[in-house]
Amino acid sequence: MTSILVQDLHKTYKGALEPSLKGLNFSFPKGAIVGLLGPNGAGKTTTISILCGLVKADAGQVQIFDLPQNAMNRETIKRLIGVVPQQIALFPHLTAIENLEYFGNLYGLKGKPLRSRIDEYLQIFGLEKNGHKEVSHFSGGMKRRTNIIAAILHQPQLLVLDEPTAGVDVQSRSMILQFLRDYNRQGVSIVYTSHLLDEAQTICQEVTIIDEGKAVVQGDTTELIARHPECRNLEDVFLHYTGHALRD
Amino acid sequence: MLRLLATIRKEWLLLLRDRTGLTLLFAMPVVLITVMAMIEDAPFRDYQELRFDILTVDNDHGRLGKYIREGLEHSEQFRVIDTVNGHPVTEQQARNMINEGEYKICIIIPKGATGAIVSNANKIVNDISKRMGMPGVLPVSSRKDSLNVTVYFDPASKKAFKSAIHQALDNFLTQVETDLLLERIKQQLRKKDVPENDSMVIQLKAVGLKEQLTGPSQEIDVISNSVQHNVPAWSIFAMFFIVIPIAGNMIREREDGSLLRMKLIPGSYLAILTGKMLFFVAVCVVQFYLMMQVGIYLLPLLGLPKLVLGQSLLAAFIVAVGIGLASTAYGILVGTVFKTPNQALNFGAISIVILSAIGGIWIPLEIMPAHMQFIGHLSPLSWGLDAINDIYLRNAGLGHIWGHMGKLVLFAITLLCIAAVIEKRRLS
Repeated sequence: MTSILVQDLHKTYKGALEPSLKGLNFSFPKGAIVGLLGPNGAGKTTTISILCGLVKADAGQVQIFDLPQNAMNRETIKRLIGVVPQQIALFPHLTAIENLEYFGNLYGLKGKPLRSRIDEYLQIFGLEKNGHKEVSHFSGGMKRRTNIIAAILHQPQLLVLDEPTAGVDVQSRSMILQFLRDYNRQGVSIVYTSHLLDEAQTICQEVTIIDEGKAVVQGDTTELIARHPECRNLEDVFLHYTGHALRD
Repeated sequence: MLRLLATIRKEWLLLLRDRTGLTLLFAMPVVLITVMAMIEDAPFRDYQELRFDILTVDNDHGRLGKYIREGLEHSEQFRVIDTVNGHPVTEQQARNMINEGEYKICIIIPKGATGAIVSNANKIVNDISKRMGMPGVLPVSSRKDSLNVTVYFDPASKKAFKSAIHQALDNFLTQVETDLLLERIKQQLRKKDVPENDSMVIQLKAVGLKEQLTGPSQEIDVISNSVQHNVPAWSIFAMFFIVIPIAGNMIREREDGSLLRMKLIPGSYLAILTGKMLFFVAVCVVQFYLMMQVGIYLLPLLGLPKLVLGQSLLAAFIVAVGIGLASTAYGILVGTVFKTPNQALNFGAISIVILSAIGGIWIPLEIMPAHMQFIGHLSPLSWGLDAINDIYLRNAGLGHIWGHMGKLVLFAITLLCIAAVIEKRRLS
């Protein structure tokens, strides 16, 4: 069973000169931590937006846990997915608890069950003493950790993270990565996108590298590096497939 | 329902934390309304409500001068000034003081004015008597040239003001002439067949003038004054300024990704938007009633008239909700169209100032040129103001406000639909 299946996906935004996706294909196994990697403008954000049901594809098929992404399944799929956007998608002038209560309420959670879940996650992420502080007073790492909690409150089966460790200190980064490994052990599939390829190499069991709207390579992270003797690590493999030309 | 209530709670918490925003929403309109009502008080007052100092030079010292002085003082519109530093005002002095702008009006009653009026009345009575076969014996002056009461105005006086003064003086002159004529007629008739104890009364006024109200209720009698215009008008203006916090709120949510997170959560975004709208409509309604309290309690303390609310409080509440809906929808559209808070702030503020200016907030639409009145009636602020004026000034009830309410609600729905289309296009 796959957590995500993408077949021949096409997307051109209105007014855009170039298509964002040009027949993208890949699949991720259920229960794995997989990396969706690519340079700027490769089509990662568009792909994630289509996976989550925010943007409609022009053509092609997407399945999440074997459910086709269409109008009928959109709400069910949204419930299965948790998304950690690259931005700190929180209200800066609400406290961490008020933010999490609000997003929990939007997921239909309320009362004591919600509050105990919030307390549990605050403890896991080392924020239990700061729950009543406004997010605007948090450090970058604290904001990132709260951002992750907001995406897992409803206990999704698939967690999509867009650069979850951007701009955080080593301690926060290590904590986040360890949490993702532990969370994955509970059976949650994780899709991880990042430009920090050493981090991706450490955490991802599989990676798919996309460029110019197409998947250029997909496979087990260790095997992929081994397949290219000239490459010492995932970054070399990435550059091997996407080239050294700057992407602006 | 949980999504809706959670959104209302979230907006409430955000507003409470934003002290500057709270001040802008509630304290600034109070200041605005107070200032506007005070500075527009004088232009709104009828001339009858104002008292003018009027210089009077009486060279006649007869009945006409007395009549004019008494008449002016009796009207309570004028304070007659006939001495300066304890000395009677001379014609030259009066002219100088008018030229220097010290006084606005000066009346010069010429020497012999009463005599001329008496002579004229005697001449008329003599003529009538002769035609009736009676001898015309009342003395008549041989003077041929006509006398005039001269009026000097401050050159800066307005036409309407001059016209009102002219009319008042003309009335006094006519009154004196009529009184003297009637007196002479009675005097002449007494000389003929009328017993000495006959007290003949001649009543000239056969038809009078009476003012009636046409409104649904006959009890209200509110003069449209500065408070009655400015409090509702600037309240509506302040309510429309909710556009700025709403637009800023929406743009910030889009920029910081919280909008994205809300859209990723299953369930209709419409429930979240409805919660947001309900909250801001409630803020508008609270603003409205706060402003009304200012009109009722604060402005009278500053010497201004008290705001009169009409009889249908429910109708006023419904109109306040309608104005809140229209302004909130406008804020959502501005927040959807513009990409940065600065763009939204500039456009939002300037557009509201324009809509308020053409919509009769600054000055009533009735005194604008016809083509501006037509344009003004296209402004949602004018629909709100017309509805409130109907309730407060014409004592209209629920049955009379649906036209204005319909326009406000339709305006809100149209703007929300446009915002939805723009947002959909943005995503694709």
